[in-house]
Amino acid sequence: MAEKMKGKGVIAGVAVGKIMLAGQNLDGYLKDYKSKKKADEKKIAADALVTVAAKLVKTIDDLNKKDMKEQAAILEAHRMMVEDPAMSAAIDEQVDKSGSAPRAVLDAYESQAQIFEQMEDEYFRGRAVDMRDVGKRIAKYILGIKEPEIGEGKVIVAGQEIEPSVIAGLPSDKIAGVILGQGSTTSHAIIIAKTRAIPSIVGVGDAIEKIADGDPVIIDGETGEILIRPSDEERAAYDIKIKKQEELKAHYAQLRALPAVTSDGIKVVLACNIGSPADVDAAKDYGAEGVGLFRSEFVFMGKTDIPKEEDQFKEYKAAVEKCAGHLCVIRTMDIGGDKPLPYIQVGTEENPFLGYRAIRISLQRRDLFMPQLKAILRAGKFGKAGIMFPMVINVAEFKAAQALVEEAKVELVHEGKEYGDVQLGIMVETPAAAVMTPVLAKYVDFFSIGTNDLVQYTLAVDRGNAQISYLYNHFNPAVLRLIKRTIESANKEGKWAGMCGEMASDPNAAILLMAMGIKELSMSAPSIPKVKERIRNISSTKAKEILDKVMEMEDGDEIKKYLATIG
Amino acid sequence: MSAEATAVIENKTGIHARPASVFVQKASSFKSKIQIKAKGKSVDAKSILMIMSMGLVKGTEVTLVADGPDEAQAVQELKALIDSKFGEE
Repeated sequence: MAEKMKGKGVIAGVAVGKIMLAGQNLDGYLKDYKSKKKADEKKIAADALVTVAAKLVKTIDDLNKKDMKEQAAILEAHRMMVEDPAMSAAIDEQVDKSGSAPRAVLDAYESQAQIFEQMEDEYFRGRAVDMRDVGKRIAKYILGIKEPEIGEGKVIVAGQEIEPSVIAGLPSDKIAGVILGQGSTTSHAIIIAKTRAIPSIVGVGDAIEKIADGDPVIIDGETGEILIRPSDEERAAYDIKIKKQEELKAHYAQLRALPAVTSDGIKVVLACNIGSPADVDAAKDYGAEGVGLFRSEFVFMGKTDIPKEEDQFKEYKAAVEKCAGHLCVIRTMDIGGDKPLPYIQVGTEENPFLGYRAIRISLQRRDLFMPQLKAILRAGKFGKAGIMFPMVINVAEFKAAQALVEEAKVELVHEGKEYGDVQLGIMVETPAAAVMTPVLAKYVDFFSIGTNDLVQYTLAVDRGNAQISYLYNHFNPAVLRLIKRTIESANKEGKWAGMCGEMASDPNAAILLMAMGIKELSMSAPSIPKVKERIRNISSTKAKEILDKVMEMEDGDEIKKYLATIG
Repeated sequence: MSAEATAVIENKTGIHARPASVFVQKASSFKSKIQIKAKGKSVDAKSILMIMSMGLVKGTEVTLVADGPDEAQAVQELKALIDSKFGEE
């Protein structure tokens, strides 16, 4: 019999594979490590630095060849931290204290990390994570812990918390599943897993420590069940589930080329949310018609300076071209104090999500905003593009942004650069914007409802807080009323409203939204087929009936329950 | 014998990660021992960590001290690098 565990299933699907631990606990290995004389330990540590640095150089070369420049730059910084002369001196000092090479390495990098953590500058504070990561990498080498090998078969990546770069760095066809001890639906690692439809489970808690590297497991991303070392019978039971899953996949593949249209002919555009141009290719396989949300943050993250107009232009142009005639909506920088960057000094804020972020920064930082606006305008020449401003709360902000777009056009004319016709819209994600949509609709070309934040701000519920997550519900009547208002405001002014939040991938929500008059739903690509199927199997009259009934209900949970019965 | 020169950090963001890494790469290309002194501290100019932890903001005066076969050239080129604001504003 297998040992069983349960978490919260966040990305559906059954997966079978061997566990690959990420974010390992080294305590056991350190206890078993037999240290030699101090001079020998110093030599062992020094040799490890040389080998690890050489390995990094090789990885960096490989990444550069694959044009994965951002990951290469991060590892280049890691390499310098390994080769730093100050570290070899610090490690020797630690060997004198503890007598153990691996412990000395960990301690030396830990104390450097602590120095960084105490620094004024947020950028340096953020580097503490890298210091610990590097220390661990070297210690693992000395302890003889192999870097996870993924040669044979698929792996299920497990860890308390997993760095998004770990998942991004592994080839998609090698990762069968993800298990996180902590984390939630909106963890970055999970967002990446979602664009690749990797079955995932979060919130396993400390039980995750019981899973060992290489353990064969079965996970069910729907129920949150985890079976460690399953018996043959258990394996067989899940094989049936996997077979069904494959059949469903094949069925969805048939839907790919069909439009998302109701039985009485009302069409909704199903677009995808992406983080980089490459994601568009994968999304097309699911039948995505364009991009409803290109999160431009990836262009900004991991850089030490403001990304150049030319570099941004290349990324946006690639995405616009890949959309092949469909609209590509690019959201301008949506970063704040929760993700400090060296060139955006936000300072310490008690409440970064209510602080200096997104459009609030862009409007004050011409040096930051202009290159982005110009890059998107130029990309618009190569297809259909839209610019979407995040976090807008009033008409003045939109007008100010619009004025800067006009200025950007003038600058482009002076520089002799061509640009295209680009739609301008806002992300409706604050209750203030939603309430003001009747006025905003006069000025914008489109609205895109960002439900993740809209639900959070409207209900005053932190979506990452497990204790109150039961309150987080996009069917809450207050939220539904704001959404309905937004869609109706757009339609009244002859503009269009779409949605790019989590809610757009909920087939039950799609029925309501369609009945409200939404024109576009943008989601992580793997969700498209199930939403499309639901839309194709209903008439707009039936959907309106359901909406009327729902709008009379008083409670979000009641609505959720009701919608579950009509599936 | 050793060579010495002073320079003032002029680029807007000071010696941040990128300038620090450029500086260290340059310093490491010399055989001489090189120290960078500022605010009463003196650190190894070939250590990015030590340099970054000094917090060299715009306006800080630093002294470069090199000791070795290519000391004069080292001091001169590193001073030129700081004076060039690392190609930044």
